[in-house]
Amino acid sequence: MMSLRRSARGAALLVCVGLLASIHATAAFAHTGEFAKFNYCPSTNTEVKKCLYSVVEGGEFVLGSKKVPIVNPVTLQGGYGKVNPETLISKFYEATNGVTLSKTPEPVPGGLLGIVPPEKSPWIVKQLSKFFFENGLTGVNSTLELALPASEITISERAQLFQEGTALRLPVKVHLENPFLGSTCYVGSSTSPIWLNLTTGTTAPPSPNQPITGAVGTGSLLEGETILKYTGIKLVDNAWSAPTASGCGGILSFLVNPIINSMIGLPSASGHNTAIQNVTLYSSPTKTVNAH
Amino acid sequence: MRVSRIRVMMASMLVALALGSVAAADAGAAPVWKFNGTTLAGHEDILGAAISSSMTIPGMTTTCEHFLYNMKVENSGGTGKGEITELPLFECHTGSGICTVEAIEAEKLPWPTKLMTISGTPYLFIEGIHVSILYGGEECALGETVVPITGTAAGSISNATESATFNKSTFTAAGASLKAAGTPIEWTGLFPTEGFEWHRNESISVG
Repeated sequence: MMSLRRSARGAALLVCVGLLASIHATAAFAHTGEFAKFNYCPSTNTEVKKCLYSVVEGGEFVLGSKKVPIVNPVTLQGGYGKVNPETLISKFYEATNGVTLSKTPEPVPGGLLGIVPPEKSPWIVKQLSKFFFENGLTGVNSTLELALPASEITISERAQLFQEGTALRLPVKVHLENPFLGSTCYVGSSTSPIWLNLTTGTTAPPSPNQPITGAVGTGSLLEGETILKYTGIKLVDNAWSAPTASGCGGILSFLVNPIINSMIGLPSASGHNTAIQNVTLYSSPTKTVNAH
Repeated sequence: MRVSRIRVMMASMLVALALGSVAAADAGAAPVWKFNGTTLAGHEDILGAAISSSMTIPGMTTTCEHFLYNMKVENSGGTGKGEITELPLFECHTGSGICTVEAIEAEKLPWPTKLMTISGTPYLFIEGIHVSILYGGEECALGETVVPITGTAAGSISNATESATFNKSTFTAAGASLKAAGTPIEWTGLFPTEGFEWHRNESISVG
């Protein structure tokens, strides 16, 4: 009898531990007010010094001959550690819900066929073009995804504020989505990622691209100097390169990949691609976040 | 008919001349540095020490109890010019309970300066300002962050008190602008100034 009770207690304890573990795995902290932005910050990790929540609200991604405006907001969140005194960069830590970089689809103008009416075209022409070439069948979405673990991201507050060097280094791949392309059509991969070295300063790309300049944005302190908010940050990089597409068209990829490569101009060497991100950023020390 | 044309032309010329002289006066008949009322020949080091000085980054004020500048001045081409060669800043703190100033340093010295006159008042205009502030505080959003202060500053000069005053009005009047990492900030300061090399104990003025 005693042994049965003990077993029952042991089982209950295991269930509780299991429940706690599963809650910890998703680790969504219900911070309040402005601090709710940091719900998925790994703030209990002692190596993490600050929480980051940023939203790319606009910009563009030019891959070879395709230009995709950023019309749907993309979120980058997580935490970052102490500044390395030699490199002046900080290591990045993954968001606790696993969504460090949100997988936000952006429509590719002209869709699969790449037919885009001239800017001066009448409204009705533009709408008809969207209807025929950007619908569920011929429309293409482009989604920027992390190609490597979030720990490969680096961030430099100093570079952002001083407009010198790389403020944010992101390993990404571009997911092209369309019923014909299947679900595994990518430009870039974990073995061959696209490295974006985003700066608020001025780029030095090879031609034909010309130098472009980012913006540090406008900062303000919120919640009694505990949250730093930056609006109007412009991160730019136009010196990155992109490999060929892979996995497009499922079993017909040996046929479809070359078509996609030809349409986009892949591989696309450095000097032919551009990333511009207009960002609003929030950061706060983990100690402060944990107290809210 | 011809006489009236000539009159119109002469009137236009007079108006143009008058406007030109007004513009020149407004932009400033360039002032020069003087010691004991005599125009400076050669150069002189002058020292400005703030009675009080603080800057406001949106949401927080940073104050330095000891804020000095050392400026080498000369008159060149009929204008008072110079360069700030040193800017020691000590005992700096914030108005916040959670943010501290761990380090503050003037960089990329010397900074060029020039005298100018705006609406009859002499001004000191400083270019190329570059100051880095390292903030601290475990709970401070700017903790462990180096914030660059860059831009230009302008202060009105009072010959009566031998001092330069920097504030929002003087910045606006001279078109100066200081930014902390891209964000406009306000700097206020009152700096009594004196000769430090050849003209010690002499009254300093500009005009």
